Amino acid sequence: MKKMKSNRTSTIVLHNVLIGVLAVIWLIPIVWLLCTSFSSYSGMNTSTFFPETWSAVHYAKLFTPDTVAQFPQWFMNTFIIACFTCVISTLFVLMVAYATSVLRFPMRKPLMNIAVILNLFPGMLAMIAVYFTLKTFDLTNSYIGLIMVYSASAGLGYLIAKGFFDTVPRALCEAARIDGCSEARIFWQVILPMSRPIVVYTVISSFLVPWMDFVYAKMILNAGISEKYTVAIGLYKMLDKSLINTYFTEFCAGGVLVSIPISILFMIMQKFYVEGITGGAVKG
Amino acid sequence: MKLKKVLAVALAAATVASSAMCVQAEETISLTLWGAEEDQALLGELVENFKAAFPDQTFDIQIGVESESTAKDTVLTDVEAAADVFAFADDQLSDLVNAGALASLDEVGAALQVAGRTLDDVKSENDEGSVAATMIGDTMYAFPMTGGNTFFLYYDSSIISAEDAASWDTLLAAADGSGKKVGMTLASGWYNASFFYGAGFTTGLNEDQTTSIDWNGTSEAGYTGVDVVKAMLNIAGNSSFMAIADGDISNQLASGGLCAAVSGDWDASAAQSIFGDNYAATKLPTFTIGEDQVQQAPPYGYKFVGVNAYSENAGWAVVLADFLTNEESQATRFAQRGLAPTNLNVQASDEVQANVAIAAAASESEFGVLQRVGGKYWDPSQTFGEMIAQGTLKADDDAAIQEALDSLVEGVTAAVG
Amino acid sequence: MASEKKEGAAAAVGSFFKAIGTFFSDFGTAFARGDAFVKLSALWMGAGYARRKQYVKAVIMTVLEIAVIAFTLQFAMQYVPKFGTLGTVKMEKVFNMETMKSDFNDYDNSFQILLFSLFSFVVWATAIVVWMKNIVNAYRLQQLEEAGKHINTFKEDLHSYIEEKFHITLLTLPVLGVVIFTAIPILLLIFVAFTNYDQQHMPPSELFTWTGFSNFLSLFGGGGLTVTFSYAFVRVLGWTLVWAFFATFTTYIGGILLSLLLNSKNTRLPKMWRTLFIVTIAVPQFVSLLLVRNFFSNGGIVNTICANIGLTGFLRDIGLVSTSYIPFLSAPGWAHVMIILINIWIGVPYQMLIATGVLMNLPADQLESARVDGASKFQIFRKITMPYLLFVTGPALVTDFVKNINNFNVIYLLTQDVYVTTNQAMANSQAKEVDLLVTWLFRLTQEYYNYKMASAIGIIVFIICALFTLVAFNRMIKGDREGTYQ
Repeated sequence: MKKMKSNRTSTIVLHNVLIGVLAVIWLIPIVWLLCTSFSSYSGMNTSTFFPETWSAVHYAKLFTPDTVAQFPQWFMNTFIIACFTCVISTLFVLMVAYATSVLRFPMRKPLMNIAVILNLFPGMLAMIAVYFTLKTFDLTNSYIGLIMVYSASAGLGYLIAKGFFDTVPRALCEAARIDGCSEARIFWQVILPMSRPIVVYTVISSFLVPWMDFVYAKMILNAGISEKYTVAIGLYKMLDKSLINTYFTEFCAGGVLVSIPISILFMIMQKFYVEGITGGAVKG
Repeated sequence: MKLKKVLAVALAAATVASSAMCVQAEETISLTLWGAEEDQALLGELVENFKAAFPDQTFDIQIGVESESTAKDTVLTDVEAAADVFAFADDQLSDLVNAGALASLDEVGAALQVAGRTLDDVKSENDEGSVAATMIGDTMYAFPMTGGNTFFLYYDSSIISAEDAASWDTLLAAADGSGKKVGMTLASGWYNASFFYGAGFTTGLNEDQTTSIDWNGTSEAGYTGVDVVKAMLNIAGNSSFMAIADGDISNQLASGGLCAAVSGDWDASAAQSIFGDNYAATKLPTFTIGEDQVQQAPPYGYKFVGVNAYSENAGWAVVLADFLTNEESQATRFAQRGLAPTNLNVQASDEVQANVAIAAAASESEFGVLQRVGGKYWDPSQTFGEMIAQGTLKADDDAAIQEALDSLVEGVTAAVG
Repeated sequence: MASEKKEGAAAAVGSFFKAIGTFFSDFGTAFARGDAFVKLSALWMGAGYARRKQYVKAVIMTVLEIAVIAFTLQFAMQYVPKFGTLGTVKMEKVFNMETMKSDFNDYDNSFQILLFSLFSFVVWATAIVVWMKNIVNAYRLQQLEEAGKHINTFKEDLHSYIEEKFHITLLTLPVLGVVIFTAIPILLLIFVAFTNYDQQHMPPSELFTWTGFSNFLSLFGGGGLTVTFSYAFVRVLGWTLVWAFFATFTTYIGGILLSLLLNSKNTRLPKMWRTLFIVTIAVPQFVSLLLVRNFFSNGGIVNTICANIGLTGFLRDIGLVSTSYIPFLSAPGWAHVMIILINIWIGVPYQMLIATGVLMNLPADQLESARVDGASKFQIFRKITMPYLLFVTGPALVTDFVKNINNFNVIYLLTQDVYVTTNQAMANSQAKEVDLLVTWLFRLTQEYYNYKMASAIGIIVFIICALFTLVAFNRMIKGDREGTYQ
């Protein structure tokens, strides 16, 4: 009996050690990012893992803008863009998902097929055309243009949300209809409140887009005015060949600062995120 | 732009008749200006000076960030949205002109009369090489801004003497004893061409924008391409040599493993801070082909300020571009950024003469080469350099080297499209 | 199974065409049998509504009609007539000393002609559908009136948009967004593949024009323009497929294993562990990947450590590396493996989240009965967990595969400016061994302005994805899955 117990204990220990080892591997680059951001040296340190002298001077630098780095301004810009993108994208995704999942109308299948086809094209290719479309409406170098790029096509990413709506019992809709609810009220007051996980999932993932994208942002904000940048291009430009040696540590510090709010967001929303993504992804 | 009609005939007459006095301050002249990140503060100051120089006009000048080395990419993506005035490195001139992105100064240069200057003033104030580099055919397309856009040898004089630095053989031997290395970028058509140019090989740009290159044959000086590659392989194979990725030199300098490095003035501060009192710079060393010592000849380039062909205010854009590169501005640029001037008067000043890095670059102007190549040159030549750096080619395999040179030439000379 | 699905697909296509047919026949009937006002609707779109006293609708339709006509005259006619040649007038300008400005001629911009023509075509196509629909509606109103039935007031019409026509309310804006920002750009690039839009023909200074299939010919070794292009194409395509396969399956399996590990009863503090892994998702990719790239660079920290502990020397001795550093991201083979490993690092936590969610929904009764039957843990995993997982996440696997074919970020951020090929044939086509088709076409457009070839490659990517999706879905999806789980 005792032997079995010690056996079990050792299994548990081994098991947790294994997870620990994996976690360490996964976290090494993150730890490096964190350590490097606290280095007093501004270039890249290639000789030791931990900085030789620690200092938070590069965080301080981030908040005292120079012509290259205007982090607080970038952060605000990205935040504003992200908020609008988030609202529009979420609405679009949920609207399309609801229409294709719950409603029945003649063009439903053809539209869904077209969406599948459109998703197969490499989006990078369309970039130049998107740019000139925006330019026609004088929307380049403006946040409205960027928000449109991030959110206008959001409807195409409706599949996960549709999968989630598919799992909502139809009987509920029927009951609401019998009670005399309009379709619009069923959407807002019956289905949406029940679908919190997928709403949260959509909100998070669309909120993150402007923080991650550097390709479109670079193309559309092409006037080179640094204070109009988003965090992503601002940081990306710090790694320019001529700048990397003076700005590498600041880049790391910026990376940490961007990651903190996103990580917190993820931690809080973890549960919803898992439910939303699986409710949807599994039935995609 | 579409709505504008040609008034060519009438205007030609008007242009002759009108004088500088006719230009009235009626509207706000808005211009955008692109320069390197590091130059932003300087440009801000120069633009203020510019405004002060023309108090009768109201200007709205926006300064944007665009690195001189990538200006072409951004400008060509959408010429009409690009800045009116932008700085760029000389290797982009032909692509920019070919795409019709640069205003011909012979045409719009007349606007300089507003500032009481002419294009000939610009040509006479700047050094001959820099002016020649702004021309394609007989047409001038940009204002020379800085010179010495080239590379040379930085070294630690406590390890390497001035005599050691004269040739690769002595240089590497001196480094061998110290445990430190000599670094150079090979995987770049800008750096590795210096060996070929030194041995008398050439590159050039044809009418149809394709590149001409003769590296797989025999040079005027009588060396074969294979000879040059073997010499390069001998250097690259030396245990004291370190092939460094393009753009990574400053990093490697800072990490302290190098006693000498081939780089340009942008790394002057990195080299100065690591070598301290022993900081020295000189022309590139010679390398050995058979019995001969051959001087390595780097591309000797410039940085320019150009005017967008599609600028709404082309005239004032030219005046601004000229102002940013005039004697006073070049002096300020040197004082603040330590960049080599092209203006003859500034070049002659004591401060410039005393600058180690600029002196090293200037000493190369006599054998440096104006590198003018098409877009298809860079990828194949980068790959060729990497093959040498990694030792994919062997110094004793002449056939393989010749074959590699042939493929290089084939790739570089391919049709544009 | 496959044939069943094929029939399903055929039926879907059939019903689609049938729907179109019905639409046209409805229109025919309406126009033939309609009264004068229905027929007048063909000219004045508000006529039918005005006759049936639906004045607001009549005004709306009239305004719409005027808008389309104005659009056609003011905008479309500038571009569409030039669609056949893509423009003939080259830019010319003269500097005017008086105004200090350049005066331009009325030059053509091929790209604008192409883009705005397409735009006009889409607008017109929509207008024609609306026009036909309008006549059908007018006829329906006529029928209602003849039958003495109630004709909707405008308010009632509006109300229908939150009732039986709610889907129109929901879909209009998203579809419009997709059309403008995805569909038209994609169509445009499809057209560009049949032109000579490249560095020699760049608007606004130069014009480009139609060239037929010549770009596809040179992609497959014809054309003669680019000797090595087809060589590079085959190599890049090969790596794209290998990458997509490994990137999809390694992260998928890794994610399942990790979630099994974390959700095991033996795990202490599972939430904390999971959070630690999630942090890697939360760091934006351009930060984490650029960091990892510097981490593993030739002169980077990992190389310094490897050299210090003698690993580099050991690898040199056994002939795995020939350089003084380990070329993690700079030599073929090494870079390929590293990219897939780094992708595991990026992708596994994400897949772990998905797998965790799916595992939570495991049919508990099945697990219980298996346990009662004395099945071992491994047996349970193999016979119950895995089939369930595969069944549930199968379709997502297919979409992941397609996403990985187009996975720009990972490859671009890890290899751009760092990886230098030593294969001259690749270099002569501006490709690298580690390029995916998308990164290659991105560089072709961004650095070489070779839009024609990039577009041709883009079409090939699409065809590959389409073929794969078709085959995979046919095999994996048995029938219509909608509603199976409600």
